Amino acid sequence: MAQSNTVRILDGNTFVVCEDTGDIEATPSEPTGLFSLDIRFLSKWVLTVNGERLNALSYDDLQYYESRFFLVPGMATHYVDAKLSIIRERAVGGSFRETLTILNHDEKPVDLEIRMEAASDFADLFQVKDEILNKKGELYTEAESDRLRLGYRRGNFRRETVISSSEPARYDQRGFAYSVHLEPNQQWDTDIDVQTFAVGPGGRDLRMGLRAHGTERLALQHDLEEWIAKAPKVNSEHGRVSATYRRSIVDLAALRFSPLSLGGQTLPAAGLPWFMTMFGRDSILTCLQVLPFAPELSKTTLRILGALQGTRFDDFRDEDPGRILHEMRYGETAAFEEQPHSPYYGSVDATPLFVVLLDEYEKWSGDVALVKELEAECRAALRWIDDYADLVGNGYIWYERRNTDTGLENQCWKDSWDSISYRDGTLPGFPRATCEVQGYAYDAKVRAARMAREFWGDPGFADQLEREAAELKERFNRDWWVADGGYYALALDPQGRQVSTLSSNIGHLLWSGIVDDDRAEQVAQHLVGPRLFSGWGVRTLAEGEVRYNPIGYHNGTIWPFDNSFIAWGLRRYGFAEEAATIASGILDAATYFDGRLPEAFGGYHRDLTKFPVEYPTACSPQAWSTGTPLLLIRTMLGLEPHEGHLAVDPRLPVGMGRIEVLDIPGRWGRVDAFARGRLDLHNLDA
Amino acid sequence: MVDATTRFFEDLDRRGYEPLLAKTSGTLRFDLHEGAQTTHWMLQIDRGRLEVTQEDREADTVVGSDPRLFGDLVTGDENAIAALLRGDMTVSGDLRLVLQVERLFPGPADSRGPHRAFQREMS
Repeated sequence: MAQSNTVRILDGNTFVVCEDTGDIEATPSEPTGLFSLDIRFLSKWVLTVNGERLNALSYDDLQYYESRFFLVPGMATHYVDAKLSIIRERAVGGSFRETLTILNHDEKPVDLEIRMEAASDFADLFQVKDEILNKKGELYTEAESDRLRLGYRRGNFRRETVISSSEPARYDQRGFAYSVHLEPNQQWDTDIDVQTFAVGPGGRDLRMGLRAHGTERLALQHDLEEWIAKAPKVNSEHGRVSATYRRSIVDLAALRFSPLSLGGQTLPAAGLPWFMTMFGRDSILTCLQVLPFAPELSKTTLRILGALQGTRFDDFRDEDPGRILHEMRYGETAAFEEQPHSPYYGSVDATPLFVVLLDEYEKWSGDVALVKELEAECRAALRWIDDYADLVGNGYIWYERRNTDTGLENQCWKDSWDSISYRDGTLPGFPRATCEVQGYAYDAKVRAARMAREFWGDPGFADQLEREAAELKERFNRDWWVADGGYYALALDPQGRQVSTLSSNIGHLLWSGIVDDDRAEQVAQHLVGPRLFSGWGVRTLAEGEVRYNPIGYHNGTIWPFDNSFIAWGLRRYGFAEEAATIASGILDAATYFDGRLPEAFGGYHRDLTKFPVEYPTACSPQAWSTGTPLLLIRTMLGLEPHEGHLAVDPRLPVGMGRIEVLDIPGRWGRVDAFARGRLDLHNLDA
Repeated sequence: MVDATTRFFEDLDRRGYEPLLAKTSGTLRFDLHEGAQTTHWMLQIDRGRLEVTQEDREADTVVGSDPRLFGDLVTGDENAIAALLRGDMTVSGDLRLVLQVERLFPGPADSRGPHRAFQREMS
């Protein structure tokens, strides 16, 4: 996975991961490269001057789509007394462009041989991720007089990298070179352009005419400035919350992704570098987190997920009618059906969450037209919940993959193989049902009832949904409550027995509203109690469970996004202090990552490490981690759309000082919210 | 005997309306190339209302494929999005129209759907 000393820039799903010199030298353990459409287009991009590698003095991440490297010849092992400076300035935006500048600081003229080694293995992202490289097609290289063409062909599947330069270069099979004479204090520069092509028969590019933003640097800059200007402003007394907020808004801009089928509109992709694509679950949850700040992402997400909703049974893709997709990919393994992502539907939460997002979006935006536009999709999603997801016939959403080869075993957000275990550490059989998904189903029915009554003109359907929701809530509280623990079971096994492990999943139940009022207090106390709460946040799995491991991916780490929904749920049930405890723990953690929360960090107790320990292979920035501070701000300020107005009911911890959020968009136009820290938290010292 | 592709288009024409395309309008031309010969199918969609002809007219979206692959798409033996990513099927013009029409293709014949642990009467 990407190491912390790598530099990443991106535009949509074109991105570069490189060393701090700007070089790319991919190995299985250092997956650097230029990637686009889930394929690596450059696996080698190494600059030398007179045969010597260069040494990094510094680099700047200027914006998410551009970076700049200051280099000198020679390695850092000795005192650097260079007479040459090399500056590499690069940007992605459709293609990848690098401006190379060389300055001679010597009193004497110099003759330089400047060379770029360039190659590509055209690895599929899945092959890079899993370190498998076994290409079935043919690689080719064509050195022409004015360009270097690197290509890969497998049947009609063709991907090409075309490299050209503004200063004439000599192209050969392994790269290109320049011979340059520089007088004292003279400067030389060249613009290198690297284009990526997904060529179909007849030479048409798959992506023709489709771009997330303008492809030019200036257009990208303009787009980013506009995005920032449109977002509400957050000011905070101590500056930390506002700095984290600003980081999040910029990262959110970077994570916008335009699927091939959306004609340039954007939705949030899941994360850099491995997940720059459409994910049902991640995109929906991110939209929910950022609704008060960037509502337009919800509209495009709902539209595209609705347009790609399942229509048939396809066991390879785990597709059913009405099901919302899990993941879409564009690479070779998807094309040749070695992976099922064309698209893959193996998730059980995206479908109810689709309905939840539509209702929540309308409450903020007043966009009734979209609720009417997506009525058929909502009804199909609700049918999927009742008809196709209930594998056991007892009124719950279950999962069991039909694609036993490349499908996902766990189709909930904790999707690693060992995330669902009994208290003794053994794994239940299939089908499985996890608790948070039943909460989402309940919420989907309650929200769909509102939409049916108010917008679809179908009060009969609304009554039916409300009845079903009430029955589900009653059933759930009977079957899932772990009486001797005072919480809800993580899952049910195929025999209907409880998987009675204590996990963070119970926090999502508060958010969904499926928790009986008289049980909420017990659930809340677990969430901020010593087994789940580390001082920074709520662990995915409670300390004391057999599989608990503070750096276990879904078995003990702390996921910021998980915590944001837990805090929202606590607030919903009136536990403002507990919500603020979690919110301030996570926002404190964010300051250790310069405002950019990772996917997950270690579940170690806060007193033990004093700083949050980043999970080693975590993606960053990741969309739902980026959305986390925004949802936490919403939660602490108690921002809720209420009868067409924005209600504000702030409950901030004392240490947070004053926070103001200006220009919150919605059906009310734009309004401001102000808050001052008054809550005296003691749990943080627990 | 009529081939699967002809059956598919004749069925669309006979149906006249497809709720899955209720929000879709536009024209698609399917060019099925076999050697020097090309068979054209023209699908006109007007908010779900369908009309099929075999004219070679200008369209918002032109899909190119060999007839055998297309026959496999309309019977569910092949998947259109994978075929598009492979370059075996080509699209020029509005890609969204293809992604909407593709949803009318059936799933693989051997796909059984959810594995239910119980028998249920489906409504």
